Amino acid sequence: MKKREGIRTKGIAIISVVCTLFWLFPYLYLISSSFKPGSEVVSIPAKFFPQVLSVENFSALFERLPVLTYIGNSFLTAVCSTVIAVILGSLAAYAIQRSGAKLAVFLVVLVLCLKMIPTSSIAVPIYELITDMGLYDTKIALIVVYAAINMPYVMWTMLSFYEGIPNTLDEAAYVDGASSLKTFTSVILPICMPGIATTSIFTLFLAWNDFLISLLLTSTNAKTFTVGLSEFLSAYSMDLGPMCAGALIFSLPVMILSVIAQRYIVQGMTAGAVKG
Amino acid sequence: MRLISRKTLIAFFLPGALFMGIFLIYPIFKMVFDSLFKFDISGTKEFVGLGNYIKAFTDTSFLQPLRNTLVYIVIAVVFELIFGTILALIFETNFKGNKVIRSLMLTPLMIAPLVAGLIWKLMLSAQFGIINQLLVNIGILENTNSILWLADEKWALLSCCFADIWLTTPFMMLMILAGLQGLDGSMLEAAKVDGASFLQQIFSVKMPNIKPVLLTALSIRIIDAARTFDIVWAMTQGGPNSSSELISVVIYKTLTRYNKVGYASAIAIIFIIALVAFTLVFMQSLWNPKKKNT
Repeated sequence: MKKREGIRTKGIAIISVVCTLFWLFPYLYLISSSFKPGSEVVSIPAKFFPQVLSVENFSALFERLPVLTYIGNSFLTAVCSTVIAVILGSLAAYAIQRSGAKLAVFLVVLVLCLKMIPTSSIAVPIYELITDMGLYDTKIALIVVYAAINMPYVMWTMLSFYEGIPNTLDEAAYVDGASSLKTFTSVILPICMPGIATTSIFTLFLAWNDFLISLLLTSTNAKTFTVGLSEFLSAYSMDLGPMCAGALIFSLPVMILSVIAQRYIVQGMTAGAVKG
Repeated sequence: MRLISRKTLIAFFLPGALFMGIFLIYPIFKMVFDSLFKFDISGTKEFVGLGNYIKAFTDTSFLQPLRNTLVYIVIAVVFELIFGTILALIFETNFKGNKVIRSLMLTPLMIAPLVAGLIWKLMLSAQFGIINQLLVNIGILENTNSILWLADEKWALLSCCFADIWLTTPFMMLMILAGLQGLDGSMLEAAKVDGASFLQQIFSVKMPNIKPVLLTALSIRIIDAARTFDIVWAMTQGGPNSSSELISVVIYKTLTRYNKVGYASAIAIIFIIALVAFTLVFMQSLWNPKKKNT
């Protein structure tokens, strides 16, 4: 019985490795294409492995785009907007959850609905708003808009975390003379750290990967890397090599971070879905 | 007993509310307002009441993207469900290195949708795309130009689905896996003792009991699939001939290329209402049965 199960387990292990390799094929193809000489990327017939290893795609990429500027913009806007969204979002969610008011139920539903708004719908009114504020093509605009768009998600996740913390903890801190803010930062937050970590990572990814908002709100100064990459779309096939190199550079940090922060990502996605 | 003073509650709540009010709620109101007008190229407005909405429901300029979006959702979600379930069942077994391989399997989720679109655009290209080349090598296709994935009206929408399925199946897998891992083992043991076959174990024991998780995952995926923009923009930009145009894409094009602010606003509002209504209905049916059980 044990032997049969051992073989079965090994068999499944092999199947899973094959499936994963198969699934990662597009990404492996990207890596391989990035290291081909430019002309080989679009060779006819198409081949998987490079005949010759070359980094000319990377140097061409740096020639074509101000890579460091764009990546810097992506990074800065992602980090700043995440900080704002997580702080304000978790505070607001705390207020709603602990208020116990009837209004709270309505607000929770409202947050859920806000989460569902498609970016493409509100993108243009936001564009007009930002332009009227004189903030077109600034990093501030991106930071502020990303924070606003991702806040409902932060609130939604933190709401379910707060639900799991009994009010008695708040009471105990209050009785000890702590102010509401102190209660929040010293008692509640440490317990919610996993939630904070999860929402921070997701908000970071959402802002880093954003395309449409940046497309509409930036042109030269604050342009992020996603928009820079999209410019290769209308280019000739010669430029596909640098495009691959760029796509690789852009997605590699995210992939690495996601493997390291696996636990939080799994937690974030399944939170609220698997409720006891 | 009120623990926190009302003043503090408002102080905590207000900054976030302000952000969301300005950038999420105000744009919606503006769009509702704009949708009642007709804009022409020079920007002059003309009040048309519900005219834009009537036009949307009777004109192919909206009905086609609507149909495309529904087809897209169905194809993407069905396949993600099937693949996700198979993968979850595979990864359910505890073998050495399970966690490592699983974390590798989850990585496509984190890739920017735009990048996913770019990768698949490269792979599905007719002349130098590797997919057609592989299909020719296996013998399914005659030559690499037999199927023009991105340039043929028949295939463009499906091609975008490929990228979406690749990108988000890991999410389905993760959710279903989480649901399976939360199952009570004794149920399965009892079924095995009763002599349930492998398939029976899956369909009669496991599946029915992860229904809440499945439904939640489905609702999230349906909404996200409906909102797709980046992938389609990277791969086909809605072409050829609007065959792969989704609602998001048509809103964007109507606004930026044709400057029909009123019409686009109407479509956007219809879109939002549809998504919100769907969410509310889904949530309602999900939470009420749960409350009845407890």
